[in-house]
Amino acid sequence: MATINFGYTISKPRAIDMDRNNLRKSDEILREMPELQACIGCGSCTAVCTAGNLTSFNFRRVHTLIRRGEYQGAYEEMNKCMLCGKCRLVCPRGINTRGVAMLIKRKLGDNRS
Amino acid sequence: MTFFAPFCLPFIIGAAVMFTVLLVKWGVWLYRLPRTDKMTILRGIPTRRTPQAVGEVVGEALLHRSIFRVDPLLGYMHMSLAFGWFLLIAVGWIETVAYLGLRYVPLQGHVFFKYFATGLEHKPVFDFVMDLLLLFVLSGVALAWFKRLRSRALGLRRTTKHVLGDRVALSALWFIFPARLVAESATCGLYGGGSFLTGSLGGWFSAHLSVPGLMNLETAAWWFYSSCLGIFFVAMPFSRYMHIFTEIPLVFLRRYGVRSGEKASSMDQFQTQACSRCGICIDPCQLQSVLHIDTVQSVYFLRDRRYGMLRPETADNCLMCGRCAERCPVHIDLNTLRLNSRDALRNLPDERRYEYLRGLDRSSGSGKVGYFAGCMTLLTPRTLAAMERIFEAAGDAVWWADREGGVCCGRPLKLSGETDAARKMMRYNTDLFRKHGITTLVTSCPICLKVFREDYDLEGIEVLHHSEYILRLIRAGRLLPKHDATRFTYHDPCELGRGSGIYDEPRAVIEALGELVEPSETRENAPCCGSSVANTAIDDGAQLQIARAVAAELEATGAEVIVTACPLCKKAIGRGAQQPVCDLSEVVAQRIG
Ligand code: SF4
Ligand code: SF4
Ligand code: SF4
Ligand code: SF4
Ligand code: SF4
Repeated sequence: MATINFGYTISKPRAIDMDRNNLRKSDEILREMPELQACIGCGSCTAVCTAGNLTSFNFRRVHTLIRRGEYQGAYEEMNKCMLCGKCRLVCPRGINTRGVAMLIKRKLGDNRS
Repeated sequence: MTFFAPFCLPFIIGAAVMFTVLLVKWGVWLYRLPRTDKMTILRGIPTRRTPQAVGEVVGEALLHRSIFRVDPLLGYMHMSLAFGWFLLIAVGWIETVAYLGLRYVPLQGHVFFKYFATGLEHKPVFDFVMDLLLLFVLSGVALAWFKRLRSRALGLRRTTKHVLGDRVALSALWFIFPARLVAESATCGLYGGGSFLTGSLGGWFSAHLSVPGLMNLETAAWWFYSSCLGIFFVAMPFSRYMHIFTEIPLVFLRRYGVRSGEKASSMDQFQTQACSRCGICIDPCQLQSVLHIDTVQSVYFLRDRRYGMLRPETADNCLMCGRCAERCPVHIDLNTLRLNSRDALRNLPDERRYEYLRGLDRSSGSGKVGYFAGCMTLLTPRTLAAMERIFEAAGDAVWWADREGGVCCGRPLKLSGETDAARKMMRYNTDLFRKHGITTLVTSCPICLKVFREDYDLEGIEVLHHSEYILRLIRAGRLLPKHDATRFTYHDPCELGRGSGIYDEPRAVIEALGELVEPSETRENAPCCGSSVANTAIDDGAQLQIARAVAAELEATGAEVIVTACPLCKKAIGRGAQQPVCDLSEVVAQRIG
């Protein structure tokens, strides 16, 4: 039977197994920036994002996945950020998202620290 | 005369160590300067700049004029120590010549002249002058002691906390002049001479001590004096007192046009080591006055950097508001040093970054005037709408660089130390401006303005802040806003005021609309809103605390409307204020019919 094209698709179901993921980096990040735990996942940071406006970069997705121990491709994604700081101004939980962006890059990519 | 006594040894060794270390340091720093800087220096030497530098050295390094501006008593303290000591050396040298004629006298002969000159006939004029100068210096020492106890009396709320090397040098320095007084007095007590200070004290000594006792005191006092000098000289190049000699080459280099940049260079050494750790930069810092953070201010930052113990937490925790640099008596380029420290800690050249910029163009409209909203203005849509009205009323055709989303100006990246990545933004935007052939570029964000003016190569394109642009329109009669009885107050954005030197234009625009009342701290002394993109260390609560303090000052003026000229300031102060905060463009747009 041919599938009807409704003009949108549904993401494939996907489960994150927290027991299997290595949470070391995630723990380190949360230890340095505990306020990230206050994130309610509202997506405001993504909605205003300068880089997200131009690419598929989704800041909420990146920092949420990292907290769950999913680091693959996260550093490359994070590098699209321009550090403009708009996300910080709109975050309803007052999270220092610019600091989060820099911390993620430092922990995941930059091996010098 | 042999001009040698065993007690001279500590002094001689100390002086030798000091001059050797100094010469090595200067030599290495100069040698390591980039070639272009060396050429700049060579070209500068035969020009007017050399005598100007000499004048500045006298005015600042000796007389400390800038510190007088902070507080007269503090200025006097620094001047009496520096200038007084200098005069003691200079007049002491003249004294030696007057006694002995022009002949070679070793260094210690000049310094300990009173000890060696006992056999000569006295010249009371010199005795008097030298006593007077010693008193002058001693008064400075007394003030320094007093400052330790009661810093507020000298106009400083907080004084610097010092490292070990400083304490050694400081203790030695405090004892040098009292020791000199006792030593010279003891000699005068034995052999006569001296004036109102050393003469009188010497008389008192000889009245109360036996001759052998006084002789012992004399030897001990000269040894002590010489040792204090020796210890001070050895500790000096490794302590804050390195500033005494570093400030001199710094003044020359600066006059010749050598500057620190976004990448660390040898020039930074001259700047960091010219810091006297006077602590004047502590009080203006809002991180200290509002948040009570007292480990990150410029004085500590420079200290940590100099001794190689700079931590990212310190380098990052600064608003780069420039309030400290505004007051620094040595005029150290504090923001640039902070910036290149961040670059050293964080910059990662990665060629593959921002590939997505290639071919991107979201701009709209066309015209010779370009408008760059910048990220922050896109978050304050009222400013954007107001600009639209203003352009329309003025009849300027506008090319909108980023109304539908654009690329950041690059300054936030640069301020975070990612200077190479920032260059990519800069190149992208420059190409975009050129492609659309604009001749004027207007922006309503001072952060963008600063980077356009300082880091972009926009020859042929005039870059204007919207306050400048609006003022031009008003002056040319192309914009006719209504004047009424509204009372406005104005917050100077750091990047616009201290950062770009634009203080008068926004004020002139406001005066065309109504009455302007100034807050207590304004212009060069204006506070920062607290939300500066340069600081990624403080949290939301801390930002809000600063914003509240700033808003309270603005509200205390009793003005009906708080105006600023930066989208970030507007958002930040708006959070802390009871009344609305408007951008300059909004209040203008409201009044153009
Ligand atoms: S700082 Fe980065 S993540 Fe935040 S809005 Fe700007 S580009 Fe997006
Ligand atoms: S805006 Fe703040 S709370 Fe919302 S998703 Fe982003 S980080 Fe989380
Ligand atoms: S940075 Fe300037 S103001 Fe601060 S301690 Fe050093 S010399 Fe003094
Ligand atoms: S630039 Fe501002 S925040 Fe930074 S140390 Fe100076 S006064 Fe403090
Ligand atoms: S937002 Fe305004 S006050 Fe705050 S740092 Fe920037 S220019 Fe300064």
